Amino acid sequence: MSDAAAHALDHHEPVTSTGIPNKKVLMWAFLGSDCMFFGTLISTHLIYRKISATVGGNFLDIRDVFDIELTSFSTFILLASSLFMALAVSAIHKGNLNSTRWMLFGTIIFGAIFLACQVYEFTHFVHAPGNELTLSSYRGEPHVFGSTFYVLTGTHGTHVAIGVFWLIGWLVYSFTGKMSAAHAIDVECCGLYWHFVDIVWIIIFPVVYLMEYAF
Amino acid sequence: MSGHSEDTVAEESKRFFTFFNLSMILVAITGLEIVIIYVQSFEGSIIIGVLFVTSILKFIGVIWWFMHLRWDKILNTILFLMGLVIALGTFFAVIFMADEHPVVEEFKVTQIENEWKSETKYKSGDYVYVNEKFYQANIDHTSDNNWTKELWNEVTGIPHLISWKIINSADLIEINSKKPENPYYYQYTPSDEESIEENRIALLEQPGSTEDFRIKVRSESYWVENN
Repeated sequence: MSDAAAHALDHHEPVTSTGIPNKKVLMWAFLGSDCMFFGTLISTHLIYRKISATVGGNFLDIRDVFDIELTSFSTFILLASSLFMALAVSAIHKGNLNSTRWMLFGTIIFGAIFLACQVYEFTHFVHAPGNELTLSSYRGEPHVFGSTFYVLTGTHGTHVAIGVFWLIGWLVYSFTGKMSAAHAIDVECCGLYWHFVDIVWIIIFPVVYLMEYAF
Repeated sequence: MSGHSEDTVAEESKRFFTFFNLSMILVAITGLEIVIIYVQSFEGSIIIGVLFVTSILKFIGVIWWFMHLRWDKILNTILFLMGLVIALGTFFAVIFMADEHPVVEEFKVTQIENEWKSETKYKSGDYVYVNEKFYQANIDHTSDNNWTKELWNEVTGIPHLISWKIINSADLIEINSKKPENPYYYQYTPSDEESIEENRIALLEQPGSTEDFRIKVRSESYWVENN
C-alpha cells in the first residue's frame, strides 16, 4: 500500500482514482491557476517599472519612500508563520488537537502581524511627507508605479487576509468538539494555501523591494 | 481523535525536525539577501543574480517540504507546475518584449545668424541676415559686391537649426517648443529606425535656444524625452 493510500485510510477518506483526496487535487489546481494570476501581476509591475523609469524628468528612486527594515521584518514573520502552519498540519495528522490549536493560533498571530505591517506600510507610503506614493502619482507627479505596486502587494495582502480568516475558522471549529481525524485533509488544504501565500511573498520581496536597492 | 497508525505519528514526528531546519535555512537565506543589499559593495547584476538564486532555493524549499510535494504523488506537482510554467512563460515573454531604451545623445537648437557677404558661394535654401531681415536663397549662386534681393526670398520668422541624434531604435520623434509665445511642433516617423541623426530648419517668431525645446522619442516600449 502506498503512503498516500495508507494516509487516506488513516483518516477515513474515500479512495479516489488518483489516490489523492479530491480536495487536495482541487487545491493544487487552484494554486496552479493562482500562480498565473500572480505571474501576470508581477510581470506587469516589472515591465512598467522598466518602461516608466522616470518621474518629473528624474529617475524614479523609490528607496526614498520604501522602509526596507519593516518589510524585512514582515518577511521573517511570514516565513515563521509558515513553520507554524507546517507544524499545525503535522500535529493534526498525529491527532494532537491541543498542539494543532496552538500552531494555528501562532500562524494567525503572525499572519495578523504581517497584515498590520502592510497596513502601516501603505499608510506611510501614501502620507510620506514629500514622497507621497499614491495609486496614480509619486511626489505629486503622475506615475504608474503606485498602481502596479499597490495592486500586486494589495492582492497578496488580500490573500493573506483570506488565509487568516480561514485559519480563524478552523481554530474556532477546533473548540466545538466536532474536529476529528477526518478534518486533517481540510487543515492540510488550508496549509497549502498558506504556504502558497508565503512563496508568492518569497518572489515579491526581492523582485519588488530588494531589486530597487541593486542599482 | 482516533484512527492514527503509529507509522503516521512516527513519520510526522520526523518531519518536525525537517520543518524546523528548513525554516531556519529560509530565515538565513532571507538574512543573506538583506545583508547583500545593505553592504552595497556588489555590482547590480551580481545582486540580481544572487537574489534570483536565493528566491528559487526558498521557493523550492517551501513547495517541496512545507507543501509536502516531497511525500505526495506526482500529480500534485504536475498540477502546480502547469500553472507555474505558464506564469513564468508570461513573465519572460513580457520582460523580453521590451526593446532597448532610446537615448537622445544630441539635441541642439541654434539660431542661424549668417550675415550676407559679398563674393561668397550660396546654395539654394541657405539663409542670410541682411538689414534686420532674414532671406533664403532661390538658387545656387555667388554673391556680387552689393546686396540685391533678386536672388533671395524674404522669410517671415527667425531661422533656427534644430539637430538631433538618437541611439537605439525609435519609431516616432516629436519636437516641440516649451514656450507658448514661441510655438513650434514637428513630428515624424524616421525612415531608418536604427540610425537617427538629422536636422531641420525651423522659422520661429522669436529667438530660441535648446532649453526652450523638448524632443520626445518613442520606441516600441518607451517614451523618453530630453530635459
